[in-house]
Amino acid sequence: MLDRVVSQSQLLALVDELALSRRIVGPVRRSDRHFYGPVDRADKLDLDFKYCVYSPKAALFPADQTLFEFQTGPDGFQTSPVYDESPLALVGVHPCDINAIRLLDRVFSNTNIDEHYLSRRRQTFIVGIDCPTPCTSGVFCRDMKANEAREGADIMCSPLPPNGVSDDVRYGVVFGTDAGREFVLYSHAGDPPTVDDERASERYISDKARAFPQSIPYDVDALPELLERSYDSLLWEATARRCYSCGSCNLSCPTCYCFNTYDRLEMTLTSGTRQREWDGCQLRSFAVVAGDHNFRAKAAARLRHRIYRKAKWVKEREGVAGCVGCARCDRACTAKISSVEIYNQLAEEV
Amino acid sequence: MAVLGRQPTDKAKSLYEPEPAEVVSVEKLTDLENVYALQLASGHPLGHLPGQFVQLALLGIGECPISICSSPTRPNTFELCVRRVGEVTEHIHRLREGDTIGVRGPLGNGFDVHELHGKDILIVAGGLGLAPVRSLIQYILDERARFGQFHLLYGARSPGELLFRNDLTLWRERDDVNFHMTVDRPDEQWRGRSGVVTTLFSEVPRLEPGETQVVIVGPPVMFKFVVLEVLARRIHQRNIFCSLERRMKCGVGKCGHCQANNVYVCLEGPVFRYGELKALREAIE
Ligand SMILES: Cc1cc2nc3c(=O)[nH]c(=O)nc-3n(C[C@H](O)[C@H](O)[C@H](O)COP(=O)(O)OP(=O)(O)OC[C@H]3O[C@@H](n4cnc5c(N)ncnc54)[C@H](O)[C@@H]3O)c2cc1C
Ligand code: SF4
Ligand code: FES
Repeated sequence: MLDRVVSQSQLLALVDELALSRRIVGPVRRSDRHFYGPVDRADKLDLDFKYCVYSPKAALFPADQTLFEFQTGPDGFQTSPVYDESPLALVGVHPCDINAIRLLDRVFSNTNIDEHYLSRRRQTFIVGIDCPTPCTSGVFCRDMKANEAREGADIMCSPLPPNGVSDDVRYGVVFGTDAGREFVLYSHAGDPPTVDDERASERYISDKARAFPQSIPYDVDALPELLERSYDSLLWEATARRCYSCGSCNLSCPTCYCFNTYDRLEMTLTSGTRQREWDGCQLRSFAVVAGDHNFRAKAAARLRHRIYRKAKWVKEREGVAGCVGCARCDRACTAKISSVEIYNQLAEEV
Repeated sequence: MAVLGRQPTDKAKSLYEPEPAEVVSVEKLTDLENVYALQLASGHPLGHLPGQFVQLALLGIGECPISICSSPTRPNTFELCVRRVGEVTEHIHRLREGDTIGVRGPLGNGFDVHELHGKDILIVAGGLGLAPVRSLIQYILDERARFGQFHLLYGARSPGELLFRNDLTLWRERDDVNFHMTVDRPDEQWRGRSGVVTTLFSEVPRLEPGETQVVIVGPPVMFKFVVLEVLARRIHQRNIFCSLERRMKCGVGKCGHCQANNVYVCLEGPVFRYGELKALREAIE
């Protein structure tokens, strides 16, 4: 059931309205590729993008972020936390990335509440755009049950099949939150869905179901069990022979959230900041302790760790899947190590 | 998500902000280890359990996880035994009485002392492993009536590496603890026992399997041999505990560095039951 129907120009007008009170981050074209980037006006966005090279994760969890400022003196020190609470709108987020954000929400709010993430997240309005067909070859979001996002976006827009009346792309809008509903209704954008729109939406859904191929020959719910049996498989060693331990897979992953912390000291030596920066479990030093003991010294152990995290452990811990099937890791890897290929090979292990 | 809907408390405290503590005293234990007694600037006790740790922060330098080596039964100060091995610990060793340092914690699970109450206790410590377990030893000695027999075995590589010598003397003098120690490599002055820590098991009388709780903290190699010794005495696997070490950055279950398979050592540990560890493939290697 749709809540509203808007044309692409109406959607862009909505984004301009969001831009009155929020920073806008959305798909922008740079040479022949798309990236999520800041814009001040909606017409700088390219809503017809296929996919963005990186996910919009950095807008919520920056690659390098200040946690607190400190000042030291003869009487000790003082700290004050740094939170970014400036309102933000993420525009044009695909279902895989919305599902990845749902995982980050969970990770940073369970057990210990991380205000550095959550203060940004609370101020973030998400305009999702659904994918009628796979955005590029090699994705396996359908297998990961992540090519739909029923929750996570404030409004979710699906491009409806053309109705023969207008050339403008029309989106069927579903409100994901009260904030989304209020925003669209108060701005009087678009129209209530007609019977024809509902029918178009049903056709959209059934066309979409056929458009996404199955890339993994089993239901992903079986993946944890398959992995459980493959811990000692030679597959890890065999695949990791090619691995450069460069961490590009971690860097490009929308769900990777591991980080390093470090202190930055001003020239005065009396003030500075504690920073956190993205880290990656595929890097050699990730589990090294003093005395140079490495708890995951072999690339094979690190690769296994990454795949187990993505396909088993994160889901078991957080209740939200750790892999959304966007295949960014597979595309980023210079060694052509492919997670979907590993998931396929696992089916052959008995 | 409930937390997302929640209004931010204005200037909520960050998970990562240390609070100031004053260095009350510094004592040199060996060439590499000093013990620091600290007091929170707020005046509050740290409120820890034996076996927990803190993140010790030198602002501008960095942070590192250090076990709390004193018992909460001695609440005025808390003690940390720091081995100088790298950048942060090197700077910690430059601290003097009266200096200020940052502390986050207590962190981790610690020992479930209630489960130990009423039982016979065997503690086996090797090397720097004495530091985390000293909080429990002090606790048992301060609450002696709550425990049955108490056996304590300690091994160090050489006499020069023995930690907490005052404690060692004290423990030897007390007759309510069956304490023995050994060094792997004795020197000329050494009058005590030599050999690896497992040789001390000859000093431990028959243990009552269902009634005995065992704590083993030391380097991984030692751990395996001691577990074997303990299992040979038919101690239940669920009654054997140990403390794990991992690289740690956040100490609060976010940064991912301390993972052993699917376990976050900073949250679910550092104290684990041997029964749990066996199933955890990356735990003891
Ligand atoms: C739960 C726990 C309890 C510990 N208790 C004690 C103790 O009571 N006394 C003691 O002397 N040491 C203890 N350690 C080890 C101590 O944390 C490391 O020796 C220390 O982090 C080394 O830091 P560094 O900067 O001096 O060394 P560097 O080698 O320069 O380390 C750089 C960074 O690597 C990380 N790192 C390196 N080694 C370790 C390590 N072993 N564990 C975790 N992170 C590490 C730290 O984040 C550190 O900031 C404990 C470790 C853990 C995990
Ligand atoms: S991107 Fe490829 S080569 Fe680089 S660490 Fe990941 S798997 Fe290894
Ligand atoms: S130390 Fe960061 S998750 Fe455990």
